[in-house]
Amino acid sequence: MKGSFFSHEGAGERNHRGTSPWSSLRVIAPYFRRYWKRVLLGLMALVLVDTLQLIIPRVIKWAVDDLQRGTSSPTALAWYGGYIVSLSILIGVFRYFWREMLLGFSRLLESHLRDRLFSHILTLDRTFFQRKPTGEIMALATNDLSSVQLASGMGLVAFVDACFMGLAAVAFMAYINPTLTLIAVLPMPLLAVFTRLLSSKLHVRFKKVQEEFAAMTEFARATFSNIRLIKAYNQEDRQSGRFHAMGRAYVKENLWLSAIYGTLFPLSGLVGNGSMLLVIYFGGRLTIEGIITAGDLVAFISYLFLMTWPMMAIGWVADLFQRGVTSLHRIEDLFREKPVLRDLTQEKGGLDLRARGEIVVRDLSFQYPGQQVPSLECVHLEIHAGQFLGIVGRTGSGKTTLCHLLARLYPVEEGRIFLDGVDVNHLSLDKVRASIAYVPQEVTLFSETIAFNITLGKPDATQEETEAAARAAAIHDEIVAMKDGYQTRIGERGVKLSGGQRQRLAIARALLLDRPILIIDDGLSAVDMETEHTIIRSIAGYLKGRTCIVVSHRVAPLADAQEIVVMEGGRIVAKGRHEQLMQGSPFYAGIYRQQTGLHEAQGTCSPHGVMSRRISHAS
Amino acid sequence: MHHDREEHEEEFSGQLGDIRLWRHMLGFMRPMKRWIALAVFLSFIITATSLFLPYLVQQAMDKYIVSGNLTAEERFSGLSGLSAVFLMVVLLGFVTNFFQVVVLEWTGQTIMHALRQKLFQHVLNLNLSFFHGNPVGRIVTRLTNDIQNMYEMFTSVIVTLFNDGVRIVGILGILFWMNQALALLLCLTFPAMVLITLWFGRLSRKAFRQIRRQLAAMNAFIQEAVTGISVIQMFLRQKDTHRRFSFLNEDYRVSAFYQIRVFGIFVPLIEVMSSVSLALVVWYGGGEILRQTMTIGVLTAFISYIRLFFQPIRELSQKYTIVQSAMASAERIFGLLENRDVLTTAEHPQVPSQLAGEVEFRDVTFAYDGENPVIRDLSFRVKPGETLAIVGATGAGKTTVISLLERFYDPGQGAVTLDGVDVRLLDPLWLRRQIGLVMQDVFIVPGTLRENILLGREASDNEVGRLVELSQLSRVVRQFPDGLETRIGEGAMDLSAGQKQLLAFARVLARDPRILILDEATANVDTETEMLIEQAIEVALAKRTSIVIAHRLSTIRRANRILVMDHGSIVEEGTHDELMARRGLYFHLQTLQNGGSAEVPPQESQRVSPYLP
Repeated sequence: MKGSFFSHEGAGERNHRGTSPWSSLRVIAPYFRRYWKRVLLGLMALVLVDTLQLIIPRVIKWAVDDLQRGTSSPTALAWYGGYIVSLSILIGVFRYFWREMLLGFSRLLESHLRDRLFSHILTLDRTFFQRKPTGEIMALATNDLSSVQLASGMGLVAFVDACFMGLAAVAFMAYINPTLTLIAVLPMPLLAVFTRLLSSKLHVRFKKVQEEFAAMTEFARATFSNIRLIKAYNQEDRQSGRFHAMGRAYVKENLWLSAIYGTLFPLSGLVGNGSMLLVIYFGGRLTIEGIITAGDLVAFISYLFLMTWPMMAIGWVADLFQRGVTSLHRIEDLFREKPVLRDLTQEKGGLDLRARGEIVVRDLSFQYPGQQVPSLECVHLEIHAGQFLGIVGRTGSGKTTLCHLLARLYPVEEGRIFLDGVDVNHLSLDKVRASIAYVPQEVTLFSETIAFNITLGKPDATQEETEAAARAAAIHDEIVAMKDGYQTRIGERGVKLSGGQRQRLAIARALLLDRPILIIDDGLSAVDMETEHTIIRSIAGYLKGRTCIVVSHRVAPLADAQEIVVMEGGRIVAKGRHEQLMQGSPFYAGIYRQQTGLHEAQGTCSPHGVMSRRISHAS
Repeated sequence: MHHDREEHEEEFSGQLGDIRLWRHMLGFMRPMKRWIALAVFLSFIITATSLFLPYLVQQAMDKYIVSGNLTAEERFSGLSGLSAVFLMVVLLGFVTNFFQVVVLEWTGQTIMHALRQKLFQHVLNLNLSFFHGNPVGRIVTRLTNDIQNMYEMFTSVIVTLFNDGVRIVGILGILFWMNQALALLLCLTFPAMVLITLWFGRLSRKAFRQIRRQLAAMNAFIQEAVTGISVIQMFLRQKDTHRRFSFLNEDYRVSAFYQIRVFGIFVPLIEVMSSVSLALVVWYGGGEILRQTMTIGVLTAFISYIRLFFQPIRELSQKYTIVQSAMASAERIFGLLENRDVLTTAEHPQVPSQLAGEVEFRDVTFAYDGENPVIRDLSFRVKPGETLAIVGATGAGKTTVISLLERFYDPGQGAVTLDGVDVRLLDPLWLRRQIGLVMQDVFIVPGTLRENILLGREASDNEVGRLVELSQLSRVVRQFPDGLETRIGEGAMDLSAGQKQLLAFARVLARDPRILILDEATANVDTETEMLIEQAIEVALAKRTSIVIAHRLSTIRRANRILVMDHGSIVEEGTHDELMARRGLYFHLQTLQNGGSAEVPPQESQRVSPYLP
C-alpha cells in the first residue's frame, strides 16, 4: 500500500503538465483493444452470474408464498430445491469462466506492462538512473504494477458487479414497493461520506506507520552492519534501548491507525443493519396494513442482503481505481522518459570493430544535471592509437567523469570528442560502445555463473578464451579452486566474492573483448599491490596495438604509461611522463610524496626500475 | 536456467501442525493473557449481537407482522418495541467491534514488539561468526517482514478464526435449537466441505509458494539489471537481457493463471455447497411447514443463518495462505532464537582492578571454519605502552589478530592473555572497555555529535571540549551550525569519511582505554584531513599499549616494533630500518606500495635485489 495518493504530494509535481491522472488510461487502452473479446465475454458471464443470483431469492419467495397460501406440496418443494441447485451449478460454471477471462486479462495486462517497462528501462541512460534511485524503479515494477493489476482485475470485476447488483437489487425492491425502497437506501449515502472521510485519515496514518517501520528497519540494518564496533564499544544495551523506543513508537502509530480502521471497518455493517431496521419497521407496518404480502417482505429482506456487498464494494473499488490510476500515471511518466543519448545517425548494424582507437578531446566541459559546479572544465587531450595513458588525481577531480564521457554514458556537445577523427555524435552509440572495453569503478556482477559474467560481452567465447582472460586477470586459479569452477554461481545464493575478486572478474570480462580501446577506471583499487602488478604485467601483451586509459588514485600502477595526466578540480593540471611530472609538476610530486610518505624522496628515483624489478619478482 | 533460483526463505515450509512453534508463540502471548481474554469476551458479544439480529427479524415476522391474533395497534407497538431493541443491538455490535479492533491491535502489536525486541537483543549478542554466515539483509528481514507476517496472522487469522469459530458454533446451536432434524440435515454437507477445503488448501499453497518464488526471482532480476544497466549497455547485452527477462515474466504469468484456476474452481464449489444447503432447507423445511411442525418465520431465519454460516467458511480457506506464510516466518524466527552461538563466559569472570596493558599471543591457531587456519602458531608479546605495527598483504590474518584480542572469537589452540591472564577468564564487558578500537568503518547512532562521541559516558563540557581538541575535531565542530549539539546520521547532517575517522578517535579518547587497536583506513581523504588524522593518531597512541594495522608510513615509523605477517604467521620482525635493510617481504611490500624505491637508490637496490635473475 502506498499512501501518497490522498496526500496528493506525489501527484502535485506531475500535475503541472496539466494532465489528469485518468488520462494515463491510454497506456492500457491498447491491451483492452487487443483482448476485447476476452474482456467482453468475461463481463457478459459476470452479468449472467449476477442475474442468475438474483433469481434464487425469487425462487425462495415463490416457495414461501406457496407455503403461506397453503397451495404447496412436497413435490413442488422438491422442484424448488432442484431449481436452486441447478441455478447454482450454472452460476458456478459461469463464475469460473469470468474469473478465467477477467482475472486472466489483468494478469496478461500486468505481464505485458512489465515487459514494456523492462525493455524501456533498458534503453534509458545514466542521466535517468542518476536521477531515479533504484528503489523507486523497483517500486514501479512491483507496487505500481500490482496496483494496476488489482484495479484492472478485481477492481473492474467488483465495479461492474457492484453496479449491476446494486441497481438490480434496487430495481427489484422498487418493483415490490418504491416507498419502502427509498426508505431502505436512505442510510447508504452516509456510508459513502464516512468512508471517504475516514479513508483520507487512514492514508495519513498509514504513511506514519510506514515511516516508523522504515526507521526501525534502517536502524536494525545499520546496527548489524557495524556489529564489530557495537560489540567493541559495549553498545549492545544502548542499541537495544533505542530499538525498543522505536518499536514503542511503531506500536503507538499502529494503535492510531487501528482506531480509524476500527471505525471504518464495521461501518458498512452498521449502515446495512440500519437499512434492515427501517425495512422491518416500515415494511412490517405495510405488511400489517396489507399493502404488501409477507412473501414480499421476505423477498425484500433478501434483496437488502444483496445490497450489502455493493455497498462495501463501492468504497473499496473507488480506492482501488484511484491507486491503480495513480500507479499507471507513474508508469506512464517512466514511459515518457527518453534516452538523452540519441543516435543522430541512422547507421545501424555492420559494426566496424576495426576502429584504430585514436581519441581526441577538445575543450570539453561537463556539468552533471542538478549540480552547481562543473565536473570537467576545458579538458584537452589527444590519445593516439595504441597509447597507454594514465590519469591520476584525487577523488572528485573529474577522472571518472572523463571516463564516462569517453564511454558515451552521458551526452557530449558536438565537436568535443572525436574517435578516429569522427565526432562521436556522428557515430552510432552501438559503434562507440563496441569499440570500448570498459572496467568501471564499481563492479557489477550478475547472479549467474562466473563463466556467464566473464563472457558477458562475448557469450560465444570458448572455454580456452575465457580461461585465458581469467589468467590474464590473475583470477583463474581462484576460480578453479571453487567447487564448481567456472560454473560456480555468484550472488546471494552462491559464492560471495571479495572486492578484489570482483574487480579481477571485471578485468577478465573486459580483456575477453577484442576491442581497440580499454578503459580501466580505478578498477584495481581493491586488489593488493602484488596482484595489481601481476595483472598489469600480464595484460601488457594484450595492450599491444590497443589504446589503453588507466585511471588510478595511486601513482604506482601508472609507471609504464606513455603519458600521465594529472587532474584536479575538473581540469588537467599537468601532462607528461613520470620523470617529467616529478620535476615539472609540484602537484604531481606532492601526490607522489603524500602517497609514498617519502618526504625526502629524491628526484632521481625511477619507477621503471622498480617496475622491472617487480616483474622479475613475480615471474 | 532460472527455475532453480529458489529463495532462501522457501526452505521453510511452515507446517501448521508444528506443536513446538505453537508452544513458542504461546510463550510470547502469556504476558498479554488478560487482554486476549478481553478480546475473546468482546468477540462473544459481537457474535451474539450478529446472531441475535436474524432472530429479532424472525420474532417480528412471526409475532407481529403475520400474526392474526393481535389487533393492529398491538402489532404496531410490538413492532416498534422490537425495532428499538434491534437498534440497540446494532449499536452495541458497532461499539464492541470498534473496541475489539483496538484491543486486538494493542495485544498483537505488544506481543510482536516483545518478540522483535527479544530477537534484536538475541542477535546482537550472538557471536561474530553468526554474522559471517548471515547477510545483514536476511537478519533485518527476520526482524521486519517475518514479524509482520506473524502479526498479520495474529490479527487477521487467529482472531477471525476465533470469531468465525464462535460464530459457526453459535449458528449451529441456534439451528439445532430451532429445528433439530433440519439442522442435522445441514450437517450432512460438512464432510464434503471439509474435503473441498483441504484439497483447496493444498493446491493453493503450492500455487502461492510458486508465485512468491517466481516473483522474487523476477524482481531480483530487474533490480540487478537496473543496477547494472551501464554494463548491460556497454556490453550491448540489451536484447539478451530482455529475452532472459521474458522467460521469467512468462513463468510468473503462467503461475498466476494457475492460481486463478485453483480459486476459480474452489470459490464456485463452496457457493454450490451453500446453495445445496439452501435447497435442503426449502425442501425439508417447507415439508415441515406443510406438516405444521414449523413456522414460516423459522424458515426465513434458517435461510438467513445459512448465509451467515457460509460466509466465514468461504474466508476461512483463503486465510489459509496467510497462516502458511506466517508459520514459515515463525519457524525462521524461532529457529534464530534457538541459535545459542553466544560467547561463553567464565564461571567467575575476573575484573582486575588495575591493568598494566601487556598483551601476549601464545601459540595461537585459529580457523573461522574450524578447518583452514588463518592464523598458525602465532606468538608475540606487546609490552605495556609499546606500539606494535602489523604489516602484511590482504588475507595475511591481521584483522583476525584484532578479533581474537577483542574476544570476538576464541582461538582453536593457544591463548591470548592480558597482563598474563587468559582473556577467556575475564569479564568480556570489562575486557572490551579496556580496549579502544578504531577501524575504517564508523557507526553513527542517531543523535547529536556529542552523544556520538561519548556513547553513553558522562563527561563535563570541559572534558568534551578537550576531547574535541585532542582528536582534531574542533574545526569540524566549529563548521557545524549547532556545534556539538548538531544532529548527525540518518536524515540529518552527514559526516565525510575523514570527519568520521576523527570522530572515531574522539570516541577512543573519551573512553581512555589502556589498549588501543587501530585498523588504519586507506580511504582517500584530502591533504588537510590527512594531517589532522595523523595528529589524532599521535595523540591516541601516546602512553597506551597499541596494536596498529598500519598503512601509513608515518604510523609505521611511530611503532616501536613491526610484525610482518604472511599467511597467518609472523615472517619478519623489527624496526622499519632493520626490516628495510633485510630486503625481505617487508621491503618488498614497502617498495610496491610506494611505487618507487624507498630510500635506496635504484642502482644499488638492483645490485643487491635477491629477485633479480
